[in-house]
Amino acid sequence: MNIVGISACTVGIAHTYIAQEKIEAAAKKAGDTVKIETQGTIGIENPLTEEDIAKADIVLLAVDVQIAGEERFNGKKVVKVPTQTAIKSPNKLIAKLHELAGK
Amino acid sequence: MTTKEIWKAANPKGHLLTAISFLIPIVCGAGFIIAIGMALGGTAQDALVPGKFDFWQSLATMGGKALGLLPVVIACGISGSIAGKPGIAPGFVVGLAANAISAGFIGGMIGGYLSGYIALGIIKNVKVPNWARGLMPTLIVPLLASLSSGLIMIYIIGTPIGAFTDALTSFLRSMSTSSNLIVGALIGGLCILDFGGPINKTCFAFVLTLQAQGVNEPVTALQLVNTATPIGFGFAYFVAKLFRKNIYNNEEIETLKSAVPMGVVNIVEGSIPIVMNDIVRGIIAAVIGGACGGAVTMVYGADATVPFGGFLMLPTMSHPLYGLMALLVNIFVTGVVYAIIKKDVPREVIKETDVEDEDDISLDDIKIQ
Repeated sequence: MNIVGISACTVGIAHTYIAQEKIEAAAKKAGDTVKIETQGTIGIENPLTEEDIAKADIVLLAVDVQIAGEERFNGKKVVKVPTQTAIKSPNKLIAKLHELAGK
Repeated sequence: MTTKEIWKAANPKGHLLTAISFLIPIVCGAGFIIAIGMALGGTAQDALVPGKFDFWQSLATMGGKALGLLPVVIACGISGSIAGKPGIAPGFVVGLAANAISAGFIGGMIGGYLSGYIALGIIKNVKVPNWARGLMPTLIVPLLASLSSGLIMIYIIGTPIGAFTDALTSFLRSMSTSSNLIVGALIGGLCILDFGGPINKTCFAFVLTLQAQGVNEPVTALQLVNTATPIGFGFAYFVAKLFRKNIYNNEEIETLKSAVPMGVVNIVEGSIPIVMNDIVRGIIAAVIGGACGGAVTMVYGADATVPFGGFLMLPTMSHPLYGLMALLVNIFVTGVVYAIIKKDVPREVIKETDVEDEDDISLDDIKIQ
């Protein structure tokens, strides 16, 4: 399954990147391809391209704050969770994504 | 829609957190500047008249003026989060109105929600002929949203908010020592629960309001706990050695090397990667240490006049030694508790997280759009 997403926490210096790492590790462990854009205080890193989004089966937003460019995901299946969920239970989250995407 | 659905759609917490994410760099940057200025003898001036101020006063004033506009920043942040770009101007106006009517930080927050939802309402419900479309975001929305929220702030809600904040302040000022102890322990323990996360930040917004009213101890309690906690985890390393335990692997030791200096300058988030590897024990140690530190701060009245700065907050206090004591108590307790309850770990790093160790996710946590 192809997963894309964004991680963005309140302060933008720690949880954002930890969530990204945790999601990517868990997704890879489940055999998925994954790309997570981070929107931290320093700005946007690892941005998602149109191609990335088009190929994706599901979009994961692990965010505590409003993010830029949410319109990019119009028409896709989008799941929004707090960053804490991604950090504390990344494997169970990925499993739930599989369930929701039906794959 | 049911009340619960309306509340969920309105997402007040998300907007507050978004606004706080804009607020924090200002508080940190300006807070540090004013802390430096005050530590070296300056005080914040009302106006800087050329030739009549010194360098430290300029720093203190710079920082102070920025902090004085925090109600405006939070209003812009919340309003902008709710309504997007058209929400920023009304947020700006209502925040300044809150300042003018002395409604303070809480006024800024409430005003932000007010102007944001009004702006959103106007955008969604007011229809204009095609020739006036361009006027919507430039004139119509800003004018109507600013005017309505500003007037509501000034004539209706501003003064009651100010009165409420005053009452809260008097209540806190008149508290006895034992109540101070409980409040301090509560602030210290509660705010460190998520290591700089949403709970900490919401608590922070609240104690900022108190500081604007001159009640300095709560924000001092919070920030001293944020400062001491990473240092406490570093201290735990050495305490553990006394017990002939090795409680950190190599990766964690590396993380500590940056987390501790970050703690010295009031940034608690550096300790997150370490705590995450043993969340329950980390939280226990941090909360117990934080409660002690917070209690000491409130009981002895460590009162930094700046909302940020870590060790730099000490010179701004009327009795810096009390602040130092709070820090040392916190560091000591967090360090010792963690060293005692943490198990030995091998120095080498093993990467796997077990699925069974994770919390269950309920479907309530997940929203699909």
